[in-house]
Amino acid sequence: MPDITLTHVTKNYGSHGQLAVDGLNLTIANGEFMCLLGPSGCGKTTTLRMIAGLEHLSDGEIRIGDRVVDSLGSGTFVPPEQRRLGLVFQSYALWPHMTVERNIDFGLRLRKLPEAERRAKVNDVMEKLRIRDYAKRYPAQLSGGQQQRVALARMLAVNPDILLLDEPLSNLDATLRLEMRAELRRLHEEFGTTIVFVTHDQWEAMTLATTIAVMNGGRLQQVGAPDDIYSRPVNRFVAEFIGNPPINMIDLGDTSSQGGLASRLFSDRPLAGATAVGIRPEEITLVPNADAVPLGLLRLESIMPTGGSWIMEFSLGAERLFHATHLRPMARPGDMVACFAMPEGLHLFDAKGRRIEENEIRATGAAQPAGISRPALLPA
Amino acid sequence: MAIVQIGDAARTRAPEGAWTLYYLTRAFASRMSSILLWQPLLNTASVALGAIVLSMSVGGVLAWLINRTELAGRGWLATALIIPFMLPTWTLALAWTTIFKNRTVGGQPGWLENLGFATPDWLAYGRLPMIVILSLHYAPFVILILGSALQRLDAQLEDSARILGASRRRVAFQIVLPLMRPALLSCGLLILADCIGEFAVPYVLGLPVGFDTLSTSLYRAISTRQTGMAAVMAAVIMTIGVLTLYIDTRMMREARRFAIVGGKGAMDRRRPLGRWQFPATGFALVFFAIGVVIPLGTLFLSTIMRIPGRFTPENFTFDYWIGSNLDTVALRDGILLTPEFWSAGLNTLIIIGSASLASGVLGLLVGYVVIRSPFATLGAFLRQITFMPYLVPGIAFAAAFLTLFAVPRGPIPALYGTSIILILALIADQMPFASRSGIAAMAQLGKEPEEAARVAGAGWWRRMVSIVLPIQKRALASAILLPFISGIKGVSLFIILAVPATDVLTTYSLRLVDYNYTQAANAVVLMIALLALAGTILINRLTGNGIAKGLES
Repeated sequence: MPDITLTHVTKNYGSHGQLAVDGLNLTIANGEFMCLLGPSGCGKTTTLRMIAGLEHLSDGEIRIGDRVVDSLGSGTFVPPEQRRLGLVFQSYALWPHMTVERNIDFGLRLRKLPEAERRAKVNDVMEKLRIRDYAKRYPAQLSGGQQQRVALARMLAVNPDILLLDEPLSNLDATLRLEMRAELRRLHEEFGTTIVFVTHDQWEAMTLATTIAVMNGGRLQQVGAPDDIYSRPVNRFVAEFIGNPPINMIDLGDTSSQGGLASRLFSDRPLAGATAVGIRPEEITLVPNADAVPLGLLRLESIMPTGGSWIMEFSLGAERLFHATHLRPMARPGDMVACFAMPEGLHLFDAKGRRIEENEIRATGAAQPAGISRPALLPA
Repeated sequence: MAIVQIGDAARTRAPEGAWTLYYLTRAFASRMSSILLWQPLLNTASVALGAIVLSMSVGGVLAWLINRTELAGRGWLATALIIPFMLPTWTLALAWTTIFKNRTVGGQPGWLENLGFATPDWLAYGRLPMIVILSLHYAPFVILILGSALQRLDAQLEDSARILGASRRRVAFQIVLPLMRPALLSCGLLILADCIGEFAVPYVLGLPVGFDTLSTSLYRAISTRQTGMAAVMAAVIMTIGVLTLYIDTRMMREARRFAIVGGKGAMDRRRPLGRWQFPATGFALVFFAIGVVIPLGTLFLSTIMRIPGRFTPENFTFDYWIGSNLDTVALRDGILLTPEFWSAGLNTLIIIGSASLASGVLGLLVGYVVIRSPFATLGAFLRQITFMPYLVPGIAFAAAFLTLFAVPRGPIPALYGTSIILILALIADQMPFASRSGIAAMAQLGKEPEEAARVAGAGWWRRMVSIVLPIQKRALASAILLPFISGIKGVSLFIILAVPATDVLTTYSLRLVDYNYTQAANAVVLMIALLALAGTILINRLTGNGIAKGLES
């Protein structure tokens, strides 16, 4: 099965020339379960539709395998019906005037397969997705989860090389989402199909994808494994977009002013042009530890239970710091609590919002996080 | 219709007021029934079917061009092509006679005749011109209904099929067409119901050559005081109307079974026309020309020409508009200087205006009750009862009103001959539209704004005046204007119920047609068309695309 290669893919709409997708370069490897993740309006759905052939490129080239399917340079455009891929829409887009069976059979009829083979295939895919009982029903008589499985079945029946999914889980309730998530993973392993899906929901992306491409404002921000994206965000946008509760972002602009969180983290002036530091809520700890950077005593403002875990809100003057933990909190709101930051959980960003790597920090010889280079300053 | 009427005692051999089957037998199973009922019924049916086929094919193509292709100037055309529907049907009919009229009937001949072409009867009168004119009138209706159905169709349904390998043609025939079927059928049935009740066109184009339709037969029966026969005709028309709408309601219920919530629309669903761009745009423009420019232009030209069809400078005059002391038997002044014209105009504004105002406000109130009433049955009942008049074509409706109010009934005096009867009939006639749009408007307004006012201490009256009406003012404006337009272009109610004292512009112009004052009649019709156009533009300004929505609800 083929790779999908996007080279400088650009799309602008209308006369205003707004760029929906701006010079996107991305390779989706064979057998990958790739997620395009980003806030609404970031161009992810447009990208998916361009891969499907439902939108034309404004610039660039898309290749499936070594076949150019859309290229502005050579003027090639392969219409969607000849791209051998499947697309499941957010709204499922089942044809309301056909039964479940007929919906699934539609693509097979187009391929002019003999009747017996068609019936076997339809039954097989209905079996796999556990919708056999609904074969004779109309889509309006099905629940959201059932409709989604029919939509999937309709595309899987024709054995596409590539399966595209637009917000596949967004219309489902919590239980069904978990179920469908497992189902999609199973399908990916069983059929070995390359799957590309689009979502604005990081939970969906993290749990499903083998690779995530984070997009914002039509531009690609970062591509990587879910863990990479989470633990090594390449810029402030990715750091702040991924993670729930969101990352604590501390401005380093005023480290000179005594008493702020920044000055407790770093004894010296901002380093290597760093203007902000991010700390994930779960990288804050209340347990003293030799490596940890002490943040001093912070006032506990509130505790929000999230079922088996807790989010604690601390304050220092006007600054806020969130801590997520699986340990039942002992302190009460109003208490002063000693907090620490795990040094490997510190993410430094420069004025343009780019990540400053650790080796960069060493190379420039700038001051390092207090906890790494020297004994931490204890609060006054 | 089953009671012996005044003067028929000798014929029926039964005393006046007794029960009889005389009228029914005479209409359905006598030697006369072919002339009285079957031939008009056949004529009506053939005209209606012809109009449905022609208007739906023309309108369907135009709806598709406007909504799904990159037709040049489609934004402008989307509005321009609706205009024929907003013009009174007999504007087109009069324009037709102005051009094609021949020597079969008296009066001034048509342009073609004057230019030396003898127009045959089949081209000048009867079935063919009626089909063409009704098609021109209803094609925009098809554009509105199908266009909005096309817009609402979830584009992802089409995209899915294409992804699976279906060609555009296959998508059109296996996905789009089946899903549009309810809209198509409903559209056809509504046109059928309207065509059966249509009076003005057969009156202008059919009567001169004895081409009777059900509505002209009814009119003839009423004007010759054959009340028994009139009742039978009205009953036949009503039955057809009720049947048609019953089928329509059934089908809509059927269609709802398939209904599914759509997702966001796609962006690239318009297809480029390529080398078809020119013919397609041409087709749309030709329709606009035939439906709007030529008829209105013809009518205007006819009002400034002494002798029709003679295009020489000395033949042109504004006398028929503003001249005085003309060399004619009657109507010696130009139309704009004739007091009857202005009094008819004033009557029109008063009668139709107050009826529209009343039905607009009533409609909104009905909407309020239907949506807010804690008693579901009361809401359902109101919804049903206000829709009832829609089942009855205007002309039959007017006939019923006539029999109801021609004599005093209890405390109500005889209303025939007053403007009250016209206003009442108009309100009742417009209630279906007014209440539908009132219900739709109220359904969109959540309870919350009103509940907030209630919590803040506002009573019912204050809530209505300060919250509901201001929020709904656009809806209210179009709920008043839509009945106004349809009232101003409607003929059938007035032709039965109006008397010279309560002449409105429509009846005034038809009277002028009767007297063969062609120029004056055309001038009045032009004024009506202008009023209807102004109303349409006003609605579009107020509500964006209010007309399409108003028609659907």
